[in-house]
Amino acid sequence: MIKDLLHSAPSLLNFGIYFGLAVLLLFVVLGFVTYGILSERKIMGFMQLRIGPNQIGGKWGLLQTVADVLKLLIKEDTIPKKADRPLYILAPVIAFAPAFMVLATLPFTDAFQFADIGVGLLYYVAISGISTIGIVTAGWASNNKYSLIGGMRAAAQMISYEIPLVMSLVGIVLLTGSLNLNDIVAAQEKVWFIFLQPIAFIIFMIASVAELNRVPFDLPEAESELVAGYHVEYSGFRWAFFMLSEYVYMFAMATLTTVLFLGGWNSIPFLDFIPQAIWFGLKFSAVFYILVWIRVTFPRLRADQLMEFGWKVLLPVALANIFLTAIIKEIVNLF
Amino acid sequence: MSVSGELIAFFGLALVAILGGVLLITLTKVVHMVIALVFTFLSIAGIYLLLSAEFVAIVQILIYSGAITIVMLFGIMLTKHRENDEPAKGGWQRFFLLLAIAGFAVAVYLGIYNLDIPVQPTALHEENTKQIGIELFSKYVIPFEVMSVLLLVALVGAIVLAKKDDEEGDRS
Repeated sequence: MIKDLLHSAPSLLNFGIYFGLAVLLLFVVLGFVTYGILSERKIMGFMQLRIGPNQIGGKWGLLQTVADVLKLLIKEDTIPKKADRPLYILAPVIAFAPAFMVLATLPFTDAFQFADIGVGLLYYVAISGISTIGIVTAGWASNNKYSLIGGMRAAAQMISYEIPLVMSLVGIVLLTGSLNLNDIVAAQEKVWFIFLQPIAFIIFMIASVAELNRVPFDLPEAESELVAGYHVEYSGFRWAFFMLSEYVYMFAMATLTTVLFLGGWNSIPFLDFIPQAIWFGLKFSAVFYILVWIRVTFPRLRADQLMEFGWKVLLPVALANIFLTAIIKEIVNLF
Repeated sequence: MSVSGELIAFFGLALVAILGGVLLITLTKVVHMVIALVFTFLSIAGIYLLLSAEFVAIVQILIYSGAITIVMLFGIMLTKHRENDEPAKGGWQRFFLLLAIAGFAVAVYLGIYNLDIPVQPTALHEENTKQIGIELFSKYVIPFEVMSVLLLVALVGAIVLAKKDDEEGDRS
């Protein structure tokens, strides 16, 4: 359907359809973020022998996040007097817009996806890099030492971990022969890449947690050292935008992990009577759960250890993985 | 010339690109300039996309607006610098500058207006990532390898320079 739309002549109706679909996706993502945060808090509570949210919206705390968002909406919007005003206002927008843009190429099932472009994988990596500029800008514009340190850490961390992230995916690209996410899913019809590329999967998981700025790599916003890092001066809805972009990236990263390593919407043999969307949802939820699990169980790294780990461990291992994959592929091709 | 979606997109992107460039010159704070530059880079990537050069567009975003800008911001924020640039000089100099710019604009306009590019159908837009890869590793393999050696030399040089600074810092 989207493909026909893309090839048709531009008109107000087309614009309306696009706009409507994008708004629909935005609401789906907002719904995910609302209940993603709730489930994260519930899982954290379960792992730390607490109950978690249990007051608003019945026994399960189902309206807790809704109430939190409402609180953020009616909070006073403060802009520090000495802040760099235009950049301070622009920064949350720069941070959030790419987070929503990356969702455009992600294939959820073979029918439900927005754009099928040849370089989908690179698109994700490139666009998500723009968010870093938003974070660095926020840190700078707040005119606060904690924010600036947080912004600097974010820049250093994101540049360092983007490289192993991309390098770990080269193995998959070698095996598939394409950067198109649909082709990558199609190549996993028989065997998922998590079994063919286990090293790449581990590197990808570590680097993706670092890219998401989550514990144990949450140095840009380490609350015990930097108060709240780059968004310490933000309040109300501007702050909500940073939070939102973080969770939308989590959604996107869990989707990407599913698509790249867990076979996307492909089913396990003999169980293919279950619809594709459900398979996707199951795998997605599993990845989401692992991300929360990592957050609850690991302590935060020190800044210098973080850099050393990225450059001296992850990058060489990722390069070795590329080399190994290429050799094995050639040997298999010989027979 | 009929109005198509492509034309509208092109005008939007071109406007943002030029606006970013103008802001880059007129703004006074260095960090603001870099942000303006990001918008120029992004809209140029958009123009590449319109020309169906998707690989180049993505690499443009990845390298220029992602990596290079962040390194620039990093450098600006870590070093001391004057908050504002000095104001431009006035008087006759400005007038001649305007004249020179106008002359340049006229020359470029005439040049482009009379330019006639023969159009021939090509298949360059189909799977251009694959085509770039094949060209790079068959026809241009030697320049490609020389390039990598050059980058390696730059990398080693940077490490040597950084290391030297460190040792001097220890002694003092």
